[in-house]
Amino acid sequence: MSAYIIFGLLIAFMLTGMPISIALGLTVLAFLFGLSDIPIETVALKLFTGIEKFEIMAIPFFILAGNFLTHGGVARRMIRFATSMVGHWYGGLGLAGVLACALFAAVSGSSPATVVAIGSILLPAMAKQGFPPRFGAGVITTSGSLGILIPPSIVMVIYAVSTNTSVGKLFMAGVIPGLVLATLLGLTTWYRARKNNYPRLTRATWRERFVALRDSFWGLLLIVVVIGGIYSGIFTPTEAAAMSAVYAFIVAVFVYKDLNLKQVPKVLLDSASMSAMLLYIITNAVLFSFLMTYENIPQAMAQWLLNMGLGAMGFLLMVNLLLLLAGNVMEPSSIVLILAPILFPVAMQLGIDPIHFGILIVVNMEVGMCHPPVGLNLYVASGITKMGITELTIAVWPWLLTMLAFLLLVTYWPPLSLWLPTQLGMM
Amino acid sequence: MKFLDHIEEWLIASLIAIATLIIFVAVVHRYASGIPFFQDAALAINMSWAQELCIYLFVWMAKFGAAYGVRTGIHVGVDVLINRLSERNRALFVYFGLFAGALFTGVVGFLGAKLVLGIYETGQTSADLELPMWLVYLAIPLGSFLMCFRFLQVAWNFRRTGELPRHEVAHVEGLEPEKA
Repeated sequence: MSAYIIFGLLIAFMLTGMPISIALGLTVLAFLFGLSDIPIETVALKLFTGIEKFEIMAIPFFILAGNFLTHGGVARRMIRFATSMVGHWYGGLGLAGVLACALFAAVSGSSPATVVAIGSILLPAMAKQGFPPRFGAGVITTSGSLGILIPPSIVMVIYAVSTNTSVGKLFMAGVIPGLVLATLLGLTTWYRARKNNYPRLTRATWRERFVALRDSFWGLLLIVVVIGGIYSGIFTPTEAAAMSAVYAFIVAVFVYKDLNLKQVPKVLLDSASMSAMLLYIITNAVLFSFLMTYENIPQAMAQWLLNMGLGAMGFLLMVNLLLLLAGNVMEPSSIVLILAPILFPVAMQLGIDPIHFGILIVVNMEVGMCHPPVGLNLYVASGITKMGITELTIAVWPWLLTMLAFLLLVTYWPPLSLWLPTQLGMM
Repeated sequence: MKFLDHIEEWLIASLIAIATLIIFVAVVHRYASGIPFFQDAALAINMSWAQELCIYLFVWMAKFGAAYGVRTGIHVGVDVLINRLSERNRALFVYFGLFAGALFTGVVGFLGAKLVLGIYETGQTSADLELPMWLVYLAIPLGSFLMCFRFLQVAWNFRRTGELPRHEVAHVEGLEPEKA
């Protein structure tokens, strides 16, 4: 009964368009004052201690690191490198776009920023070479979402925090699926370009490739610092995040010189406000899931689902549908914060691996961002391509289908995500 | 008012910078203690408080940053539904959302003030730094009341100008075409 009231309230509050963090908090307050016997002091304390975990602090650090490198100059270097490597194959600049998006998204950590940065530079170049605008738009919109699967990924940190799983394992588990998805999107691009005979570039010389690599190397090293540092045990994930922030600062200001010192406070302010927003949602989501646990809702739901005899297969299908639906109206972090604590206990009872489950959720979030009618990437892409959402929907279709097929693969073939961390002896 | 805005911005930007530096120094320090040449100097400094301080800095940053976020419109909600309504009805929901925000943060502010008073009386201090805990938790009532004020301010501006602050999700610097 209380489950219906809690969810009813939450959904009603959210649909009024108030900030998600406020909707979560108000639901808890309303329930507390009206219907529950939890002492309000317990809750008050929870509200203040919700974010006092060192693991959570990886989030502001990663955001800061990403923001230092979210710059047109970095995007241009990644594009040059990607073009020199794959530009001579079918798909030319489009194929280079997939690779550039993957690299830039991994470093910047933001999908919409990737769409804007790579899109605004690459799309005009593609148009000049005679690619139809829809082709470029489709490539960039979908490839831009690769970032949350390739570490460092903020969504993964959030999942790890809200389900008490290891950030390091999740990061490792994301590597292979990230590469596979990038390859699949590349194949889709290659196939469509070959069929329609789109322009290709002349093959770059090894010298050009080397120069391009040397230019983008410093940015890419960030991924190595994070993954290598965590895996080798040099840093904890939070320390790795702080180191990557310092590293990104040095690269942006002293190596690339994209930023001058005067612009640094602006980057700090933007990162702080973005982090504060996420931390605020986290605080309230912790409160919300405390309320749920207190009312035994996750356990009751787990029992209910188990009684339906859904099985792991059916449950995962249901999870996919639910997340895709949610992905239409909310951004990834909020979805993970609200739904992971509910779905996770059920998944555990069904014997699903926690890391595999995390990767599955992250891939869902990626698809949700490019999914019509209201994926975030679609909106951002619509801004830079001047296409309507309907036209973009048609444009992204081939790549979106690829992503959905990949989602099924990730869902029903756990070794894809679990092989690497197992091989590395992490699990 | 301008003064308050500046302090807010300056505070949160410094907090994130300081927290980053502290963790950076703590990690460097840990490895420096392993190198014979630096060892004596490094062992003389105790950095075990770094983690705790970092958390507290971020708690302060989170509370004041959230208030700053209200002013810049970074706290987004599910607006697909209300955006389909007529201008008049949409405005009603916008007010409802803003006042709900003010109500929630106001209540949390009061709860926080009560908690801080309670902790002040116990004289509790933090584990590593031995900071008085009430000082650490002071961020909650202060941040929440500031946030409450910001919600009301946004509502007031919306009434006057009909505009809400909008945060651009994907702003990237340096995209203007390169000089050759």
